[in-house]
Amino acid sequence: MNTPSQELANKILERLTVEKLVTDDDAKKLVTKMADGKLRPEDWRLAIEKAAEKAAKT
Amino acid sequence: MNTSAPKKLTIEHLRGSVQPFSLSFENGKKLMIIYGENGTGKSTICDAFGFLAEGNVGSLDNRGLGKTNRYWHSLGKKSTDVSVTLETTTTTCRATVSRSDVVVTPPEHRPRVEVLRRSQILSLIEAKAAERYAAISRFIDVSGIETSEAFLRELIKDTKAGREVAIARVQENRDTLQQFWEEAGKPGTDPLLWGESESTRDASAFDAEIKAISNLCDTYARLAEYPEQTELATKSLKKAQDLLDSAQQAIDQCLAGVSTDAAEIVSILESAKAYFIKHSEPAACPLCESAEKAHGLTARVNERIALLGELHEANTNKNRRVQDVSRATQQMEILKENARQHAQNFNQCCANNSWPKDIVLPSTPTPEDLADWSAWLATNTHLPTVWKKAESTRQDKKQFLSTLKRAFNTCTENTLAQKELDALLPSLSKALQIVEEERRKFTDTTLAGIATEVGRLYEVVHPGEGINKISLELDPDKRASLEIGASFCGQATPPQAYFSDSHLDTLGLCVFLALAALEKPTETILVLDDVLASVDEPHVERLIEMLYDEAMRFRHCVITTHYRPWKQKLRWGWLQNGQCQFVELTKWTSVYGLKLIRTVPDVERLRQLLAETPPDPQLVCSKAGVILEAALDFLTQLYECAVPRRPGGLYTLGDLLPAVDKKLRAALKVDLLKGKDASGTPIYNTVHLAPHIDEITRIAQARNVFGCHFNELSFDLLDADAIAFGESVLELIGTLTDGDVGWPRNGKSGSYWATMGETRRLHPLKKPS
Repeated sequence: MNTPSQELANKILERLTVEKLVTDDDAKKLVTKMADGKLRPEDWRLAIEKAAEKAAKT
Repeated sequence: MNTSAPKKLTIEHLRGSVQPFSLSFENGKKLMIIYGENGTGKSTICDAFGFLAEGNVGSLDNRGLGKTNRYWHSLGKKSTDVSVTLETTTTTCRATVSRSDVVVTPPEHRPRVEVLRRSQILSLIEAKAAERYAAISRFIDVSGIETSEAFLRELIKDTKAGREVAIARVQENRDTLQQFWEEAGKPGTDPLLWGESESTRDASAFDAEIKAISNLCDTYARLAEYPEQTELATKSLKKAQDLLDSAQQAIDQCLAGVSTDAAEIVSILESAKAYFIKHSEPAACPLCESAEKAHGLTARVNERIALLGELHEANTNKNRRVQDVSRATQQMEILKENARQHAQNFNQCCANNSWPKDIVLPSTPTPEDLADWSAWLATNTHLPTVWKKAESTRQDKKQFLSTLKRAFNTCTENTLAQKELDALLPSLSKALQIVEEERRKFTDTTLAGIATEVGRLYEVVHPGEGINKISLELDPDKRASLEIGASFCGQATPPQAYFSDSHLDTLGLCVFLALAALEKPTETILVLDDVLASVDEPHVERLIEMLYDEAMRFRHCVITTHYRPWKQKLRWGWLQNGQCQFVELTKWTSVYGLKLIRTVPDVERLRQLLAETPPDPQLVCSKAGVILEAALDFLTQLYECAVPRRPGGLYTLGDLLPAVDKKLRAALKVDLLKGKDASGTPIYNTVHLAPHIDEITRIAQARNVFGCHFNELSFDLLDADAIAFGESVLELIGTLTDGDVGWPRNGKSGSYWATMGETRRLHPLKKPS
């Protein structure tokens, strides 16, 4: 059974993906980090910049 | 995942189990009610579950005993004698004590157990907000997400700060460009456009001009050196010439003192001496070839040279001066040649470049005659300063362009950085907003779900007081702090403030059940240790019904109680007991420890008595009479029949049977559920009760004659009458009630009274007028 943090991380990343703030690939990779409280500022920035770059290309 | 039903729990030497004690679970029943007076060992059974699942004996906690493991074993036993074994339909799991730890074998079969004890029931309600949060945190603790969220917030803060810095830098860069633009005389209309245009200029043009000017300066500087050098060379030549003249004069003076040809003679002698060095003592004179006087010729020549030494000295000196003059003359020629070459270089330098206006050149070319250079240089002496100034100006321009380029590039970079941050910040803010929203929604939804579940359970026990009236809220001003709220007389209030102890107990139990059901209920054995103690009588029945229903959600449920009415209601079938296994503990003794006795419902007991061979008429009538009284008591209360009013409210069959009058008897009928058809529609058989009640009325005296008193009348009656009375009562009660789900008490249909699951439908709803 997922911890509340894991459950919530999935919900958050699902919404961030829908809003194109995080790519699908990154969302999968970031779940555990986010739930464990290890998603540091540089990780956030990289993920959001990557998603913006991808959105700009498409 | 282990969801198999428990088969047997065996407790050895734990607490009150001085002898091994086994508790068998009936197949197919998910609820076990363990009834026992105080001190019969109910808590020991609950402890056994806690010992097995959590490695602890919870009933000893909070009693000021410190570490309790030294009290786990029975008196006279050691901790290593303690063992608890749970057999299920698929597995067996055993817990023992090794040193001070509980060891479970095999560990993977350790059951999930939630134990709620009487002493803990109010802990969630009366605890401090932080303790309440701790109890519930496993469902709402999203501290990991909060940490990641804090990192995102930190990033936004830093990014905003970075953007402010970028804006300031861009402004600073623009100010610098504005300054440059103004310095450059405000060309064009926009400093930025000008800066962009200027920054594309090639600085190498300045380098070429600087190099050419530098070359001009250098070649001119060379020319400027020649007048002095010429003067020095001229002086040197003149001095050499003067010395030569002096040497000639010295020779002339010597010659005046000797023959006129002395000079030539000395020369000849010198030559001869040189010859004699190579050809000593020649046989003939090398000059006249005469052998006469050849002997001693060398010596005589040397003697004559010595005589002419002064002249010789003067002659040597003259020769040296001649060489000096020759050298000085040669140097003068070299100087002139160099000057001519440098003049040519300078002239070419002047001619080969298209000089800008600020570069002024000599009005006349370099004079051919070196002697004229001084005058020429004097007329152009200001030019090197002009050229240096022009070179310096170009150096400044080059530097300016370089600085301008840097400023423009920095401005461009900072503008780009600012734009990137401008684009990034909204995304970061949006992400934070989503994280905050989802976190709040998750927590609120979870808490609301728990509160709704608590309300639903509470509503069953206290109708109208639960739904939408219980709330769980996180205190926004405090970390990990949970408030519980309730509605009392329409006012939102902490329940502790106004609720009775009974209400608080029920609420605590509801909170526990709601939380226990949140996590793997089908794997969880729920153990409730004597939790009904302070519940009010009117509510206890609904609470029991609620527990019956909730127990079905769990793997198994064990409830201990010393609430005697529960036992009696089960005996009389007033409570549904289809899924319920009822066991009773008898008095605990230090020799035998825990001991079970079997409680048989009275209807079952009557059936057993009738099945005996031969049946005992007195016992049959006695038991049937009590059961009949219970049935008539139920009917007369349900239909509000008239009975004689007397103190104590005790009624006999003689009071109750007539109370069910003819009209009511004629209307009484029961639909018995026989099954369902193919479409799922229930199929009922209808049985009218009037024939049963009439027959019982006819032979009811058997109860008094056989079952109540010593009576000579019984001598005249047949045993068959007594047995017939018992069988009629059993038939009536079998029609009226369902052994599994109890009596038809539910009138919600609006037209009949029904049991749980409508296995019985009793008509009519109201007594006919």
